[in-house]
Amino acid sequence: MRSLFTAFVFVGVVAAVPGIATAQDEALVPVEVLLAEAESFSGSTITIEGELVGDYGFRSDGTMWTQLNDDSYARDALVDGGPRTGGNTGVGIRMPDTLAEGLDAPGGYRLEGPLVRATGTWKYHDPDRGGESYLDVSSLEVVEVGRQLEEGPDWIVLVAGLAVLALSLGLWLTRRQRS
Amino acid sequence: MLIKPIGEDFRIIGYYLGRIFLVVAAASLLPMAWAVAGREWHPFASFVLMAGLFALLGVLGLRARPETDRLDWGHGMVVVALTWVIVPVIGAVPFALSGHWMNPLDAIFDALSGLSTTGLALVQDLDHLAPSLNFWRHLLHFLGGQGIIVAALSLFARGGGITLYHGEARDERILPSVTSTARFIWAVAALHLIVGVAALGLVAYLVLGFTPIRSLFHGLMIFFAGFDTGGFAPQSTSLGYYHSAIFEGATAVLMVAGAMSFGLHFALWRGPRRAIFANLETKTILSTFGFTMILTLVGLAVAGIYTSVAGLTRQGFFQVLSAHTGTGFATVPSVELAGWGGLAFGGMAIAMALGGMGSSTAGGVKALRVGITVKAITNQVKAVLLPERAVVGTSYYQSGRRNLTTELAQSAMTVSLLYVALFLLGAGIGIAYGVPLQDALFESVSAGASVGLSVGVTEAGMPVLLKMTYVFQMWAGRLEFVAIFALLGFLYAWARGK
Repeated sequence: MRSLFTAFVFVGVVAAVPGIATAQDEALVPVEVLLAEAESFSGSTITIEGELVGDYGFRSDGTMWTQLNDDSYARDALVDGGPRTGGNTGVGIRMPDTLAEGLDAPGGYRLEGPLVRATGTWKYHDPDRGGESYLDVSSLEVVEVGRQLEEGPDWIVLVAGLAVLALSLGLWLTRRQRS
Repeated sequence: MLIKPIGEDFRIIGYYLGRIFLVVAAASLLPMAWAVAGREWHPFASFVLMAGLFALLGVLGLRARPETDRLDWGHGMVVVALTWVIVPVIGAVPFALSGHWMNPLDAIFDALSGLSTTGLALVQDLDHLAPSLNFWRHLLHFLGGQGIIVAALSLFARGGGITLYHGEARDERILPSVTSTARFIWAVAALHLIVGVAALGLVAYLVLGFTPIRSLFHGLMIFFAGFDTGGFAPQSTSLGYYHSAIFEGATAVLMVAGAMSFGLHFALWRGPRRAIFANLETKTILSTFGFTMILTLVGLAVAGIYTSVAGLTRQGFFQVLSAHTGTGFATVPSVELAGWGGLAFGGMAIAMALGGMGSSTAGGVKALRVGITVKAITNQVKAVLLPERAVVGTSYYQSGRRNLTTELAQSAMTVSLLYVALFLLGAGIGIAYGVPLQDALFESVSAGASVGLSVGVTEAGMPVLLKMTYVFQMWAGRLEFVAIFALLGFLYAWARGK
C-alpha cells in the first residue's frame, strides 16, 4: 500500500512539472545547431541523435570512429520516398569499441543505419588530435535498429537504354557495310 | 569579312565529336560494370541509357564523313568547347534519374563540376548514394582531369591532334608527338593510380580500421579526387570524415602530384632533377604557396580560431594546400570555413585564384602565368629606374632558357585578367542575390578556379541564375577561355557571316 502511494506521488509530480519529464530532451542538441555554434559547446557534455552512416572504423587504440547524421534522411529515407531536403548534416563521433558491439551495419545505399542517441563530450578543435572536432561518446542508446531498403530497376529507363544501344549498334554496322 | 561555316566545317566538327563520344561511351561501361557487381539495378539502367546516348552520338558523328580528317585550329577549339558541354549533359543522366538531385540542372552542375575537377556539389543525401553513382562522380574527375581529349588522342590521332590538345588548356608538348605526349600523361596517371590507391587503401584498412572492400572503395575515390585535384568525396563530410592525419598526409602527396605539370613529372622521371628548382614555375608556386600559407596561418592565429599549434598548422596547412592545388577537400565543415575572415580569408582566396601549375589537372590562373606576369612587371620597373644604357634581362628559365617576349607577357596578363573578370562576375551575381561580399567572392573564386571549397553558398536551394553562373565559371575556367571564344566566334560567324 505504501509503495502504491509512493508511485502515485511520483506520477503526480512528473505530471505537474513537465520540465522533469523533458529534461533529457532539453540536453538533446541538433547537429545543425552544434555545427553552427560549435565553439560554444566546447567541453560540454551533450546528447545528439541521428543515424550512423558510412563505416565503423575500429582502430588499434580501442576506439571506434563513425559519422552521425542528424538530418531528414536519417528518419525518412530518400529511397523510401522521403523528401529531398538538401545535403547531409553530420559529425564525427568516437566511442570505446565496446559500445559499438552489436550495432547494425552503418547507413549507406539501400541501408538505413541504426538511429542512436549518443551522449558525450564535444571536443572542439581538440589539441590532442590536431584540431579535429568530434563527439567523444561515453554512452550510446539505440533508438531504432537499422534496416534494409529496396530499390528495384527502372524498367522504362532500362528498355530505353537498350533500344538506344541497339540503334547505335545498327547504325554502326550499316556504316561499316557501306564503307 | 566573316566567313559563314559551310557543311564541311560541321562535318569535320561532328566527325571528331563522334570519335570523342565513343571514347566516353567506352568509359561509361566502367560504372555500368560496377553497378552489376554491386547488384545496383536502378543505377545500372541509367548507365545503360547514358552509354547508349554517347554511343548514338558517336556513331552519328562518324557518319558525318568529312572530305578531310585534318582539323584546323578553329575546328579543334569548337570540338573541345562542345565536348565540354555535351559530355556533362549526357553524363548527368544517371544523376538526374537517381532521385538524389533536385532537377536536371543540378545534375548537370555536378557532372560539370566533376569533369572540370571543381568539386562543388548539389547532390542530396550523398551518404546514401549508390556506390556505382559515387564511382561515376569520381571517374568524371579522372576523365576531366587527365583530359577526355587526351584520352581520345592516345587512342587515335590523325591530323589536328595538337589543336585539340591545346584546346583543353594544355600547352606543353613533353614528347615529340602529341600522341606520345598523351600516352605519357595516361601512363603517369596509371602509375599514380596503382600506387595511390594501394597507399590510401592500406591506410584506410590498417590505420582507420575499415573493412577491406570499403578501404579499397575509399582509396579509389579519394585517389580520383585527389590526384585530379577534383574535390568530390564519397561521404558528406569530405576529408574530415577520416579523422586521420596519416590519411590526410597521403592525400596531400597526391594533391601535390596532381597540381604538378606533366612536364615536371617527366623531368622527375627522366631528370635532370636539379633543374626543376631552377624553373620559373616551380619557384613561383613555392613562393605563392609559402605566402598564402603564412597569410592564412597568421589570420587564424590572430582570430584565435585554433588554440594549439598542432591544430593551427595541421588544419591551416591542409586547407591552404587544398585551395592552392585546386583540389577542394576540406577537413572543416563549410559553416566553419565561412568564419575564416580577415587574413585567413585573403590567404585562402588568393591560393584558390592562383592555382597549380600549367598543363596539370589544377585550375586557376596557374603559376607560370603568375611568374611571367611578375617578371614582366619587374622588368618594366627596372627599365624605368635604371639608366637608359643599362640592359635589362628579358629571359626566364623553364626547362631551358627562354625569351620573355612582349607577346608572351601580354598573353599571360590577358588570361590572368580574364580570370579576375570571371571571379568578379560570379561574385557580383552572388552579391546581387544577397550573398555577403566575402562569401560571394570565396564561392566565385572556388568555381572559376576549379577548386570546390565552399562556405555554404553552393546548395540545392540557391537561385537558378547563380547555379548557371557557376556552371559557366567552371566551364570557362577549366578551358581557360580560348576554346570558348572560338565557339562563340564560330556561332557568330554562322549567324552573321557571308
